Amino acid sequence: MHAQLEILLQIQDLKAQRRELADADSGGTMEHEEFNVDIENALQQLDEKIEEMKGGLEPRIRTRLDRIARAAGRPVVPLINGTCYGCFTTVATASLLGMSSNEQVHVCENCGRFLYSVAG
Amino acid sequence: MELREFFDSGAVDLHLKAESKDEILKELIALLRLDDKSEGILFKMLKRRENLGSTGIGRGIAIPHCRSLVVNRLRVAFGRKPEGVEFGAIDSQPVHNFFLIVAPPLEVSNQYLPVLGKLAQFAKEPETTQRLARLEAPEEFLRLLEEQPAR
Repeated sequence: MHAQLEILLQIQDLKAQRRELADADSGGTMEHEEFNVDIENALQQLDEKIEEMKGGLEPRIRTRLDRIARAAGRPVVPLINGTCYGCFTTVATASLLGMSSNEQVHVCENCGRFLYSVAG
Repeated sequence: MELREFFDSGAVDLHLKAESKDEILKELIALLRLDDKSEGILFKMLKRRENLGSTGIGRGIAIPHCRSLVVNRLRVAFGRKPEGVEFGAIDSQPVHNFFLIVAPPLEVSNQYLPVLGKLAQFAKEPETTQRLARLEAPEEFLRLLEEQPAR
């Protein structure tokens, strides 16, 4: 897997975790009540980790990440069966070549999001 | 929704070999049969979640969980370490039973939190720890889940 893509994935996963913790109606309450998590402290830890990881991104990738996050929410989305799960358009067959190994950083030609081919 | 429908016997190991928290997490992740890179990313995410507070909820049970893009649907696994492992649990006791839950950041069916909540309830039931300790085969674990009432 491309090192930059690996960082992007981890940032996205951390943001998903943060979003859930911050939502008192769902994950936040459960994490606090069942697992005794200090939500404010946890959110701060996650924010710091996200910023730290962003520091490992190439400037052009970080710029795109921030731009898409502002405009469209999730900047990294799975590619499943040839479909971008950000805009749900089918990626052209020619563009799919080499994507399954995640050895390069690919973006959706339609929505611009980073694509990650899911094996799991 | 029933817990049983999310588990299969291939993702159940009643004889975990690991001796530490990190090794337990890796052994549980291996039950999901992901590729090496995905396993590595998932391990980091689970570790980060544990750093926010142990998922060891007491009574010898832990429920490591996180969301990650490395899976495209809810994945679960169960592992048991009869001797127990220090996991930083709430009650400071060793943990013997581990339920792993991983889900993608966005799920159409939104099952992650309900399954997590249901497992937490299951863990609190008075007889759960003893019943898990008596299991001799993965199929018995599945039958135990089948006895859980649907909610």
